[in-house]
Amino acid sequence: MPKCTINGQAIEVDRGVTVIQAAAELGFDVPHFCYHPALSVPANCRMCLIEIEPPPGRPPMKLQPACYTQVAEGMVVQTESERVLQARRAVLEFILVNHPVDCPICDQAGECKLQDYYMDYDAQASRVRTSKVSKAKVLPLGPEVVYDGERCILCTRCVRFCDEVTGTSELTVTERGDRSEIRTFAGRELDNAYSLCTVDLCPVGALTSRDFRFKCRVWLLTSTDSICTGCSRGCSIHLEHHRNEIQRYRPRFNPEINEYWMCDAGRHTYNEVHRDRVQAPAVGGQALTWPRAYEQTAARLKAAVEAHGADATAFVFSPQAACEDLYAARGFAEGALGATRHYVGGRPEGAGDDFLITPDKNPNRNGLLVMFPRDRRPAPFQRLLADLEAGEIKVLYMMGSEIPLDGEERARFLAAVAKVDLFVLQAPRQDELGPLAHVLLPAATHAEKEGTYVNCDGIAQQTRQGLQPIGGALPEWQVFVQLARRLEKPLAYSFVKQLRDEMFKVMEENSAAAAS
Amino acid sequence: MTLLIEFAIALLKVLVIVFGFVMALGSLMTLTERKYSAFMQKRWGPIRAEVLGFRFGGLLHLVADGVKMILKEDFIPSGANRNIHTIAPAMGLFTAMVIFAIIPFADAWCTGLALPVEGMDLCFGFDDAEALQSAQPAAVATFAPTHPYFQIADLNAGLLYMFAITGIGVYGTALGGWASNSKYSLLGGLRASAQMISYEVSMGLSLAGLLMVYGTLDVNEMVREQGALLWGTVPMWGILVQPFAFFLFLTASIAESKRAPFDMPEAESELVAGYFTEYSAMKFGIFSLSEFVMVVFIGAICATLFFGGWQVPWLYADGFHFSGDSMLAAASGGAWTAGELQSYVQASTPDIALPYGLVVFLRIGCFLTKIILMIALQLQIRWTLPRFRYDQIMFLGWKILLPASLINLFITALAILLLR
Amino acid sequence: MPAKTLVMERGKRSFWVQSYLPEVANGLAVTLKHLVRFITRQEESVFTINYPEEKRQYPERYRGLHRLMVREDGQVRCVACMCCSTICPANCIHIVAAEHDDASIEKYPRIFVIDELRCIVCGLCVEACPCDAIRMDSGVHCHSFTDRTTAFLNRDLLMNLGTYSAAKQGGERSF
Repeated sequence: MPKCTINGQAIEVDRGVTVIQAAAELGFDVPHFCYHPALSVPANCRMCLIEIEPPPGRPPMKLQPACYTQVAEGMVVQTESERVLQARRAVLEFILVNHPVDCPICDQAGECKLQDYYMDYDAQASRVRTSKVSKAKVLPLGPEVVYDGERCILCTRCVRFCDEVTGTSELTVTERGDRSEIRTFAGRELDNAYSLCTVDLCPVGALTSRDFRFKCRVWLLTSTDSICTGCSRGCSIHLEHHRNEIQRYRPRFNPEINEYWMCDAGRHTYNEVHRDRVQAPAVGGQALTWPRAYEQTAARLKAAVEAHGADATAFVFSPQAACEDLYAARGFAEGALGATRHYVGGRPEGAGDDFLITPDKNPNRNGLLVMFPRDRRPAPFQRLLADLEAGEIKVLYMMGSEIPLDGEERARFLAAVAKVDLFVLQAPRQDELGPLAHVLLPAATHAEKEGTYVNCDGIAQQTRQGLQPIGGALPEWQVFVQLARRLEKPLAYSFVKQLRDEMFKVMEENSAAAAS
Repeated sequence: MTLLIEFAIALLKVLVIVFGFVMALGSLMTLTERKYSAFMQKRWGPIRAEVLGFRFGGLLHLVADGVKMILKEDFIPSGANRNIHTIAPAMGLFTAMVIFAIIPFADAWCTGLALPVEGMDLCFGFDDAEALQSAQPAAVATFAPTHPYFQIADLNAGLLYMFAITGIGVYGTALGGWASNSKYSLLGGLRASAQMISYEVSMGLSLAGLLMVYGTLDVNEMVREQGALLWGTVPMWGILVQPFAFFLFLTASIAESKRAPFDMPEAESELVAGYFTEYSAMKFGIFSLSEFVMVVFIGAICATLFFGGWQVPWLYADGFHFSGDSMLAAASGGAWTAGELQSYVQASTPDIALPYGLVVFLRIGCFLTKIILMIALQLQIRWTLPRFRYDQIMFLGWKILLPASLINLFITALAILLLR
Repeated sequence: MPAKTLVMERGKRSFWVQSYLPEVANGLAVTLKHLVRFITRQEESVFTINYPEEKRQYPERYRGLHRLMVREDGQVRCVACMCCSTICPANCIHIVAAEHDDASIEKYPRIFVIDELRCIVCGLCVEACPCDAIRMDSGVHCHSFTDRTTAFLNRDLLMNLGTYSAAKQGGERSF
């Protein structure tokens, strides 16, 4: 276990730890472009040069890259000495020789390392009097990523990402010297499922996202900790929004789930939050305020259940909903509504891979399952279709407008739903089911409420509220609490904390029972 | 029949004083204020309204403003209490006008022979000087009735009436602010009520010294008392016997009128326009009119209580007396004989003799002049001093004016005790 | 450079100054003096400007309506960097950026609207602009609006006031 001193502070680290990591542990941020903790170390940008004091009596040593130099016993390191600062200034000036400095146009401005380091360490006028080398502008590397050769500082993070993380190796550096550029190999495209990670990795604005390009300046964004609801992996993300509209998803470092990465498809799922939203509660096609909607919905449910009996009443739980909503839904379905038939809805299965993407496209299926004792878990959706077609279900309360059926079965389901006596749909989006619903209640998405989601590996994560609810949307559990009160069988909680205390207890019990 | 005549006279008084004087001066104030401030600041003020190319120095703005106020949209904000919102400005103007009832524009009209006794005119029961000459010298002189033709209501508790009405005055403001359903208005109304209640205290106490000196609440009687000559030469005006009280009263009453430097209730830099933010058209006009009428009233009451009211210095019922010696001395037994009066009229003629009618006329003119000067003083103050901060206003009201007026009261009481 | 601090001694105010009364009298005397001198025509200068007939000379740096400068070929100079709309304290600038066909221009404002009713004429947008694209030196008075929507000046209206600017990015302005 070598010991070293960085800027006068002693630290003991494991063998093989580099100076940049040791310094970071002490809280010294050594500036760097090419180094990334998840990638191999090329030490090509020279931004992280630090000074290592020579042994007594020896001349001063050459500056060393902090990202590549491993800590050795007794090493004395200076990360902010005059020599180091001078070297940083020189490196920045070198990088900026051919950089176009088109920050007003560049999407990276505001989160650009080159900008930040220039302001921190360089901040001098250009001394270059020759014209800059012109390179490729607005060059699409693939369907998602656009390349700007002039802004590129050739740190090769993107190249290493494709070599080491995805293993697809689409990218390489072509030409030499000041004509070097990042290119795809001949006949290849940067079209792997994680290509947008290169945009996150790029320390400057050389790689930009086709989707986010020019949409919003990054300094206007508000970032909220959330999760991606594209599949059951539930990657941790920064949900970044402006004027109550999500502008982009960006992966949030989570060593247990997604590390630094996230798939392209998941990044596009923010569109779902704004697509086809239910704007206001509606009963019989008539838009209402919430209090009136509660009253009329409860009255209709009461009348229908009394007319057809609890056995003809079905409740569909959605694995898209958060645990809080599902817990309240279970209480509502079993208690207030008295429905005896429970089913699981959600999106149909899709393709998965062996990295992050899972076939199950629902973010909270594990949360849903653990909400019930093993023997009382809701039935699969196919059973619902069969029961509907058999005419056994007259009252249907459904969370979420997603239908886990495809093709001909989907059409059969839609036809069967149109025949039930009362169809209550509580969903963020209309989709095909919205027009069929007798009662339509808007629900908040994960972006508009706090919620707990359990991913495919059983890891629970909490989302924070980023957006103000769109339209009249409310978290589903609040609606269940209100409806249960109107049905005169109130739930035992009215605050999210009470609900969570109870919910986690039940979830723990159920998962312990399932494990034994 | 006499009741009908009394009623007709009362109505005439109200019409002449309220409409001929108060309203006229009040609406003239709208122009005067702007002109006065403009001249102070080297501007021309309103001059642009014109008829056939004639501008009359801006006088037409009076008409233009009136027409504009009446024609503008009368707006009531949604959520406002419509009835109270409508009544509030009227309440403000009502109190401002009703309060004029106690202002005497001249001494009560003497139906007999008015002669000055130690600085106060007394009305003796003789038709005129000739009737006096022909009377029996030994007969005890009687008094003839007087008629308060120049005062709407000759109340023996006039000052209390004034305090009562100014107390009601706060309702118009506070209710207007409250009924507007606007936070600015509400804050303005609250400030107004806090401020007016605070200053009412020191306003009342500052006048208590005056009551002790003159020993009456009757406003006309207080003016008559001010005709007495101090050391035989100087008229005993309120400002001389209670100089300190005048400043206290002026400060408190400017604060009551809610004008700069005490215009916190409307503080446009903080509250848009304070309690009348949500008012428009003539309702807005009525609020500002009542403010101007209040200014006229403060001028009138200051002139009345501290500057001799209708008194013209050294002018008494039969003419100018520059010293007390030329006046009738107090009667030994509380009554004069006709002979004593006869010798006075024959021997000591006034320094400048004037007929009684002319004296009354001069007194009215003098009173109006005093009012106009007091209004000018208020305008001068309003356009010179910057607005106080709200805490400073409360500090001034409760911690300075109130103790100061109490001290003034104490010293006055002490002085009266020692001098008598 | 560390900021120099200069400790200011707070002047002592005498009792009479603090008592406010003599100062009130002084103030009244000053204003009364001006009033009398003005009425008696001893003071000749008048501040009043009879507006439609007489007009005030605007200072050189008067801020009028905004204008958007153009490139040599008449296209808008603005690159939709949003610096102006970010700095705007009144939030009156609305820009929607779009990709330009010309890769050397790359980004341009598809929508650029200024709500002149909201504008507080502070000029910060001009200060913030890195491209000399927005200016307020048009000298044009903001006219009166009878309808809110007519106060939204769009890109083409703003460009009509604009002229060619040959300013280089990061370089000196050339007029």
